[in-house]
Amino acid sequence: MSRIASTVLMAGALTLAGACATYYHTQADFNREFERGDLNRALEALQNRDRREQGRNKFLYLVNNGLVLSVMGRYRESNEYFEKAYLFGEDYHKDYINEVASYWTNPLVTVYRGEDHEHLMVLYYKALNFLKMGKYDQALVECRRLNLRLQELSDKYNSPEKYRRDAFVHTLMGIIYQAMNDYNNAFIAYRNALEIYEDDYARLFSLHAPQQLQYDLLNTAWWTGLHEEFEYYRERFGLEDYIPQQPEAELVFFWHNGLSPVKEEWSINFAIHTEQDNQVLFVNETMGLNFAFPLDNDDDRSRLSGLDIYRVAFPRYRERPVFYRGAQLVSGGEQYPLEMAEDLNGIAIHSLRERMVLEFSKGLLRAALKKATEMSVRKEDATLGALIGVVNAITEHADTRNWQTLPHTISYARIPLREGENTVDFVLHEPGGGEYTHHFTYQAERHQTLFHTFSSLESMDSPYKPAWE
Amino acid sequence: MLNRTLLLLTTLAIVSCSRTVTRVSPDTAIDLSGRWNDTDSRKVADQMIYDLFNSSDFKEYAREKNRKPVIIVGNILNRTTEHIDADNFIRKFEVVIHNSKVADLVESSEFRDALRRERAEQQDFADPATVKQFGKELGADLMLFGEMTSEIDDYNNRRVVNYVTTLFLTDIETNRRVWYGQHEIKKLIRN
Repeated sequence: MSRIASTVLMAGALTLAGACATYYHTQADFNREFERGDLNRALEALQNRDRREQGRNKFLYLVNNGLVLSVMGRYRESNEYFEKAYLFGEDYHKDYINEVASYWTNPLVTVYRGEDHEHLMVLYYKALNFLKMGKYDQALVECRRLNLRLQELSDKYNSPEKYRRDAFVHTLMGIIYQAMNDYNNAFIAYRNALEIYEDDYARLFSLHAPQQLQYDLLNTAWWTGLHEEFEYYRERFGLEDYIPQQPEAELVFFWHNGLSPVKEEWSINFAIHTEQDNQVLFVNETMGLNFAFPLDNDDDRSRLSGLDIYRVAFPRYRERPVFYRGAQLVSGGEQYPLEMAEDLNGIAIHSLRERMVLEFSKGLLRAALKKATEMSVRKEDATLGALIGVVNAITEHADTRNWQTLPHTISYARIPLREGENTVDFVLHEPGGGEYTHHFTYQAERHQTLFHTFSSLESMDSPYKPAWE
Repeated sequence: MLNRTLLLLTTLAIVSCSRTVTRVSPDTAIDLSGRWNDTDSRKVADQMIYDLFNSSDFKEYAREKNRKPVIIVGNILNRTTEHIDADNFIRKFEVVIHNSKVADLVESSEFRDALRRERAEQQDFADPATVKQFGKELGADLMLFGEMTSEIDDYNNRRVVNYVTTLFLTDIETNRRVWYGQHEIKKLIRN
């Protein structure tokens, strides 16, 4: 019996261990093509994994498809994937059987739910796709969904240290409302965005409100007839001479620079101290970590104290620093800098850091349960117990899943266009001082707002070495 | 402790919840987040139109006209920090005015333009016996418009929001303000 169990356990452990490279590495074929900019092959690699649409990584499968198709300009197909990703977020329910299983193996057996900012980005891309297709009414639907998601986010957390409000999403809502000539709602969105940039983003991400937001806020206040508010903000921004002007047409240009961070795994060894009453202490003296774990059962305590060291795996982000230092648009002899409005890299890293205590607790509970099981079995069968110990060690992994095709940062600019044909240069600034210019031509109708996104997938070389290098 | 944790986790696994949907009467007041909702829109519309039609100023105006005054609902400016669906709010006012039988209602500019296009097309395409004529629109006597503001006091996971809706009823010919009304909804929200 013991031998059969050993064989089954070892086979299971090897399977789980094989499945537990970081998420980035399991997607090596897709990531390689995507980062090289070969989107057709990236999409092919992605869609060869059809079965994943229903698997534990369903959300990531959907959003990666949606994002790649959007960059390729296949907006309708892209939105089909993003709609499914949105519905996934709406209908998501924790599968507690998998949650329980994760405490005996690792969190990778659970369905990936998606980070808060990832769910907002689903609707951001969806709204942009609609805008680029000229379907403004549909974009407005996404705008309302974004508003609900933002309300859910602010209701979810109370601490001002958490990422609980998104300034860029409010800005985007304002841009969409403004494009629809709903200046009143645009003003509300811009004013909310300004408050969040000033109160949250400056403190949490060192990101200040773009100057364009100030102009948009003033314009929409004036066009709504909110003259008191207009005067108040004009003075506050130090733009006393500013007079709103409506150009013949406009272009809103979004620049997706670089790639978001990837999660990797790091392990910490904890020693167990059981000398305190009714609790055990998980201690890592090198890192100054000290977690108390209530344990009032003498038997449990003695089981745990029989073990010296616990290895617990946790996720952490590794940044992929951007390659391009900045960018600007040149039109009609005027230069318009792209202003950073969203730091997705910073949001991701900050969100994980803020919930690290929870991650530690879950990891330590997992380790404790695994070890307690091992010790119980050891009492009956030493060989099987030892084998469970090996399996526990092999299966100890962190959840390294995240939406890795998102940009590192999002910048934008709003520029005036003339009715008819317009040529605009998009100039990217390289690290050595060089420039790389793209030329675009836009056909604008009177009072129309055009939308364009440009994705730079390049990142600086980082210590993170992908599997294929 | 470990055994109890195990038991708790297993119980959670068995008692995993699923979504339930219950149909409720649309006039049931349900407050979840504390933000402006359908109940607030309906209450404000019902109460303010009741106040308007009961006001001595409006009754005097109707007596002077010797007929039901004709009202058009204009813009309701949103000065709050929330995206309140103004169209929905305006429709609620229109429904209450229409059902009151105290005043006549004419279409707002949004639908009036569509009606004018339809009338113009009838001149070319409809049976002459059924063509609707230009210049027969019922002109409004009064315009109802207003604004919404909110004052927020936020401290220690508690929030007080005071929504103030102000409506003006103004004579279109003379710019005379016939009626002026204000309605407040104050909410205390504990997080």
